[in-house]
Amino acid sequence: MADNDRHPFLQGLSKHRGAPPTVVVIFGASGDLTARKLIPAIYNLAYDNLLPADFHLVGYGRKPIPDDDFRAIASKAIKEFSRRELDGEIWGRVAARTSYVSGGYDERAGFDRLAAHIFDIEKRVGSEVQSLFYISTPPSVFEPIITNLGASGLGGRYLGKNHHSKVIIEKPFGTDLETARLLNGTLRSVFEESQVYRIDHYLGKETVQDLLVQRFANAIFEPLWNRNYIDCVQITVAEDLGVGTRAGYYEQSGCLRDMIQNHTTQLLALTAMEPPGSFEAEALRDEKVKVLKAIEPIGLGPEPDFARAQYAAGMTGGKAAPGYLQEQGIAADSSTETYAAIRLSINNWRWQGVPFYLRSGKRLARRVSEIAVQFKRPPGTIFPQKEGFNLAANTLSFQIQPDEGLNMVLNAKVPGLETRTQPVKMSFRYSTTFGSNTPEAYERLVLDAMVGDGTLFIRGDEAETSWGLYTPVLKFWKSEGRKGMGEYAAGSWGPKCADALLAAHGHAWRQP
Amino acid sequence: MPGIFDALPGIEVPVGSIGLGLEQMWDGVASSGKPSPEGDKSKATQVNFVLHLGLLTDAEDAARQFDVAVRFSRRYPCRVVVLCPLKDEGTPLEMRAKVYGECTLGKSKDDTRCCEFVMLSYSRSARAFLENEVSICISPDLPIYYWAHRFSRAANLAEYTYLLTNARRVIFDSASTPDDAEGYPWPRPENVRDLAYARLLPVRQAIGQFLGRYPAAALGVGLRSIELRHGAGVAPEARVLFKWVRGRLADCGASGQAERVLQPSDLPPRSFELAFAYVDGRSFVWKADLDTSHAQFDADFGNGRTVMTATASLLSQEDALSEAMFF
Repeated sequence: MADNDRHPFLQGLSKHRGAPPTVVVIFGASGDLTARKLIPAIYNLAYDNLLPADFHLVGYGRKPIPDDDFRAIASKAIKEFSRRELDGEIWGRVAARTSYVSGGYDERAGFDRLAAHIFDIEKRVGSEVQSLFYISTPPSVFEPIITNLGASGLGGRYLGKNHHSKVIIEKPFGTDLETARLLNGTLRSVFEESQVYRIDHYLGKETVQDLLVQRFANAIFEPLWNRNYIDCVQITVAEDLGVGTRAGYYEQSGCLRDMIQNHTTQLLALTAMEPPGSFEAEALRDEKVKVLKAIEPIGLGPEPDFARAQYAAGMTGGKAAPGYLQEQGIAADSSTETYAAIRLSINNWRWQGVPFYLRSGKRLARRVSEIAVQFKRPPGTIFPQKEGFNLAANTLSFQIQPDEGLNMVLNAKVPGLETRTQPVKMSFRYSTTFGSNTPEAYERLVLDAMVGDGTLFIRGDEAETSWGLYTPVLKFWKSEGRKGMGEYAAGSWGPKCADALLAAHGHAWRQP
Repeated sequence: MPGIFDALPGIEVPVGSIGLGLEQMWDGVASSGKPSPEGDKSKATQVNFVLHLGLLTDAEDAARQFDVAVRFSRRYPCRVVVLCPLKDEGTPLEMRAKVYGECTLGKSKDDTRCCEFVMLSYSRSARAFLENEVSICISPDLPIYYWAHRFSRAANLAEYTYLLTNARRVIFDSASTPDDAEGYPWPRPENVRDLAYARLLPVRQAIGQFLGRYPAAALGVGLRSIELRHGAGVAPEARVLFKWVRGRLADCGASGQAERVLQPSDLPPRSFELAFAYVDGRSFVWKADLDTSHAQFDADFGNGRTVMTATASLLSQEDALSEAMFF
């Protein structure tokens, strides 16, 4: 919104300081995500004085919890998980407007109680209040929550105004194309698309947002950002932990659903999309959808565009680690992949012929997420390999976690009488430059939703396009069972079949 | 009386070898086991920050502003150049330099941020050479931000054209400058920011969010008077706040109303009371005491009375600096 279009008393304030009176309702209020991320995010927004003065927090869940107990649970979560120490005065102000409503997710009466509670808050505030519903529950109850928000009238409040009801929904947005469409259908039966904020917390990370700035605010990159200069792009989202206590969920999900379809593909979209006409939400999301639609179907065989594997026993952090099939709660004949690598081809003018390699996995050598853009080698006539010149490919890597930053690999002369070359790294680190106490992704995203900015959220058609790409692979894997499932030692960089995926095109995985 | 230059910390170095002085300073820091930059990795200078202490600055005030610059640079690592004029008009052509550095340890080894300070003391006759010296003290290619602290005369602006025209932002604080400072003939007035306005951000936000819920016309039409009462300790902020409120109300359609800014002796020193009165009985009152951080809104715009408590604060000086510089 242009500053001139804003209320005169909000002009000159950043949009993030102009949130209207808001009540945030968290469904799944006693859940893990609420404790680890949402409550600390709200506390840190209060700490930075970014919440509206009329801010109210309401927890909703099946378990009856008195208001005071909910406040105590929230306070404990801040002490344990917030990036900042708990300040009693700041939290006290939020806590005074924190309450809890108990009710079932499929219980209409519970939602009527919630509506009465919100109306009561609104009466006390003395003006219209925006409702922001955060669905932080297992996907199995998405549908009844959304339906009851519609039936209770809460979903449609103040439509046509900026402070209309909004809903934030956590992934997974379906488990395949069909279920993604069903979920979108349910959402659209109650909400308009502009009311829906599908959250992928990766998009709230500073480095991911910085990718857009690096690409479009620096003239040196864009002319090179195409098939003429780029050899390949590698996107890695690696975890060092195993399946842990999430066996039940993970067995149903697997790496492709858990990481590739959402986080990794979002990173690809931001890397490969065309420059949007503006930084407005719709312009940006239009470009993301366009590039996702330009991705060619993933080849299923005989030389597939994917590799999948499970971790076998190995060693991580100097200790023996069990294989996936030996983990508690995992079926001995499980065909769930803990590692997936995909080779994607984008069929458009910019990227024709440039492979995009995506990989993600559990129990890999280290926890790291990065986008590495590998440039083509220069013609080697001046520094031929046979004369001992070993030039590295110029690589621009955006490290998303940990140690957020940007690295550029260049070739330089080794000091001395002989001309010898050596790759050197030019680094920019976020923590060194800006300090590491930057806002958590959830802080940014919750506040964005509060002020109605959907730029960093996923649109319905985007989710469906992404599922459309991967659903054939999921179906194929299901039909194959364990056939073709590779293996890699826990603590390694992945299976050999993934190496072969790149070797076929003359590439090799980086070890970031 | 010691000058402000002597009141600031640092190691004196020859003006001709400031770069070498900085290197030796870091070597000394490293050999004493204190945190120091690992090559250039931790000296992630991203801005040049020139703090120009005016002639009216005394030693105590200089040390206070220096501390603000240090706290600011912990958050935004920068090359800080502190300019310290000598008071004596009769001093010969002279310039002295000091260097100072500090590293802040974060959560990890990779989160070490270091900043560097160069202090330059100059006599009146050396003013003509000051800008040359500044140009070689700053980190090239990075933006310059210029904080002119306690400057006293519009006539002096002409002597610092380099800084005033090359700085991305020029910052002053109306709490410590003449009342008409904003109207001085700044070479690029669009880049000039008042720290008092920046400090008021939480106040503007709180009032803006509260009033932003009412239609603009309900705030502007029929306005009979605006009155701002304030304590003695926030007079500059009150002046800026009043100007802001008046401008916002004008954009809401207000005109011809009576206006009063008062400083009654019975108000706590760091407090405000802002009131709008309307011809038809509508009303708005905001009272805030910065010492207790407590504020209260009491409004009736025709739909019943609304009373709301809120917090009240001003930004710290280093936060106000970043607000004025970057936003």
